Amino acid sequence: MNNLLSAPARPEASVPEPARRRSRTEVVVTVIVVLAVLAAIVAGLSTHRFATIANAKAIITSASLVGIAALGLTLITIGGSAVSLAISPSVAAVGMIFLSAQSLGLVPALVLALACGILITGLQGAVVGYAAANPVLLTIATSFAIAGLATGISGGETVSPTGTGYDRLNATPGGVALSVYALVVLALILEWTLRRTAFGRTLYLIGENRRAAWAAGLPVGRTTAVAWFAAGALFAVTAAFTAAFNTSANVNLGGTLTFDAIAAVLAGGTPISGGRGSALRTLAGAVLIAAVSDILLLRGYSTGVQIMVKGLIVLLVVILVHLRAKGRNA
Amino acid sequence: MSPGEDLVRVDRLVKSFGNTRAVRAASFSVAAGEIHALCGHNGAGKSTVVKMLSGQEAPDDGAILIGDQVVDLRSRRVAQRNGVALVDQELSVVPSLTVAENLMLGDLRARWINRPRAAGRRLRTLLDSVGLAHVELDRPLGELGIGERQLIEIARALGQDARLVILDEPTATLSDVESAYVYEAIRNVAATGCAVLFVSHRLGEVLDLCDKVTVMRDGAVVATTPVAELTLDSLIVQMLGEAPLRLGRRTAADVEGAEVLTVSGLSVPGRVRDFSIALRAGRVYALAGQLGSGASDVLRAIAGLLPSASAELTVDGTAVRLGHPAGAIRAGIAFVSNDRKAEGLFLRRPVSWNLLATRLPQVTRLGVLDPRRWSEALAVLLDLCGLDRKRTTHAVGSLSGGNQQKVFVGRCLGRDDVRVLLLDDPTRGVDVGGRAAIHALLRDATDRGMAVLFSSTELEELGDLADVVVTMHQGEVVRRHEGDTADTVLLREMTHGASTALVEERP
Repeated sequence: MNNLLSAPARPEASVPEPARRRSRTEVVVTVIVVLAVLAAIVAGLSTHRFATIANAKAIITSASLVGIAALGLTLITIGGSAVSLAISPSVAAVGMIFLSAQSLGLVPALVLALACGILITGLQGAVVGYAAANPVLLTIATSFAIAGLATGISGGETVSPTGTGYDRLNATPGGVALSVYALVVLALILEWTLRRTAFGRTLYLIGENRRAAWAAGLPVGRTTAVAWFAAGALFAVTAAFTAAFNTSANVNLGGTLTFDAIAAVLAGGTPISGGRGSALRTLAGAVLIAAVSDILLLRGYSTGVQIMVKGLIVLLVVILVHLRAKGRNA
Repeated sequence: MSPGEDLVRVDRLVKSFGNTRAVRAASFSVAAGEIHALCGHNGAGKSTVVKMLSGQEAPDDGAILIGDQVVDLRSRRVAQRNGVALVDQELSVVPSLTVAENLMLGDLRARWINRPRAAGRRLRTLLDSVGLAHVELDRPLGELGIGERQLIEIARALGQDARLVILDEPTATLSDVESAYVYEAIRNVAATGCAVLFVSHRLGEVLDLCDKVTVMRDGAVVATTPVAELTLDSLIVQMLGEAPLRLGRRTAADVEGAEVLTVSGLSVPGRVRDFSIALRAGRVYALAGQLGSGASDVLRAIAGLLPSASAELTVDGTAVRLGHPAGAIRAGIAFVSNDRKAEGLFLRRPVSWNLLATRLPQVTRLGVLDPRRWSEALAVLLDLCGLDRKRTTHAVGSLSGGNQQKVFVGRCLGRDDVRVLLLDDPTRGVDVGGRAAIHALLRDATDRGMAVLFSSTELEELGDLADVVVTMHQGEVVRRHEGDTADTVLLREMTHGASTALVEERP
């Protein structure tokens, strides 16, 4: 039995599919994006010392630490778990563990850091995946728990490295920081995983419609947990680089990383509602924010202005993504 | 205006959706103080009439007159201002608010500043008028039963100074006792001089409660008859038209296969009581029941989507635990929900992703997608469900309802590990061509040795497809039919249960 539908005529065949038509909103959004890119290029070229190789290195280096954490967050967001608000304390805790384990040597310390990172974030992911906990509420709670535990164990002191192995993470092969290589390689691996594996497909489907995925028998709990596991590993990589760069770590090591990572994911155009987005988009988002900050810095604007503009970029992209989604559904 | 005079008149209303004429020149009128029933089988056009009367759809032609004035009901709010109140099928009360707050929801007279005392007196009289004298105004609504909530809805509609109260299946999910309260309230409402339009599938209550019955069929009004001149059977004949006997149902005794699925003692609290069935390979079974009959709950429970359900369930002799869709699917149970948007398809994703969503292990090697296997599996499925190859990259959400349903059904077929296919109202919102294609898919499924169980309210579909029809009413099985059965009998059991003597039935 082949084509079961050969008999009845298909009246809708002549009707144009609505998706084929470009709506006006979509055109407007495209125009705004093109204008924004042009404006950014003009602003960059007209800024003294912006278009130099040294400056490009500076931009991507400053994007790399936030970028790696944002890659982890991308997995969480695509899978429909919105965001983790516990990135900063997780990174601080793992960074402290990493430095205090330096006496074991670099590789064991890295493995330990990865294991702790996976454990901390992966446990939260298991609760989100299997028990359908609200990720925002859960990670608000865990961020206090992690920070409290880290403060209690360290006695509020700053942890100093117990060895010198960590310094190899500060190497600059070819004149570019090691963290930049890590960012690019991890982004490519992640992009491939999302596009080409069953795990990636399942993650997108769960993010788009968790209930439908559950009803279709997809492994919702397991896939969500694995996504958070991987995110935990990426947070741990960020932690190791950040701790090595600072050569010491305390509970404030994470700084504003939570919101910086969220900003990078959103600026890349990944919607917070899940089901869409990519690692390369997040990479672009992180670089975009770093580049704009850089332009403002070179032009002599204050830190306050830089932070404010970061917020405006995120706002603009979020509105554009929303408009585009609406234009498609219309 | 004295009782007996026409208060609301519907004059040659016409409404089309695309190429389908949902309502063609429907006219009837409701007098003040009259309880007027609007009856008709699915797709007869009664809900479209209700939508036009309550301001949710604009008529293409014709007029609505309230108190001899032509009114233009552009929105629900405008309809409300003209004295039309609608009590919907779905409860729209808020459990966390108090009774009084619920009564004031959406009230046009609500001001920024509430004057609790004056409002309180008014609300008290309202509650008394629907027989809720024992309920305090400040009680949280969540403490009330479902029937009492329905009464609160009716009281709210009355509180809007309604002249026409429309009740769209107000008792579909209620028990007999709860329904009795609602009937009493409706009689009180009519006694105050309101016109009441009552839409219901339960024909028994229509005959008991109403003064006149307007029957619609295929978008047109068949007749408006005083209830005194009607019997259950003459009403059913009006709804179905002539020649209600249907012959030539497939007698599939020759393909009698082994028992695939057995269900015994299935109960869903408040929905289904003690349901049992055994499905044989290669046969099509149907659950015939209206909204609230429990037919849909039975399917959802077997598919593992209702954690509160309990039953003994086996597939090919192996016990299956309820409450886990993944477990049901592993056991070979595939389910096509009637809500394909919420728990079926991934609308923003292309056809290919949707068709292969449940088959990822088969199209990957060590977890990595294998493009060759992917496109092979896709080609098989596209052929099977008759979808255009060019469409595979289109988002499913951009397809027509019929094609979406084909994707959904197709996703469950074309694999040998599926033993039982469950479909909840599979052709709802699907055009004629799509319907034929889905029916063909079902027959193909039985040819492959699956057992099929679907729910439907459409007599034609039941007759064309099913080998065995099980009628359900208020959560219980009425009767099991095999071979030829008259449509009238089925409809009577679906709408009325087994409570009264049945007409002569062919064996």
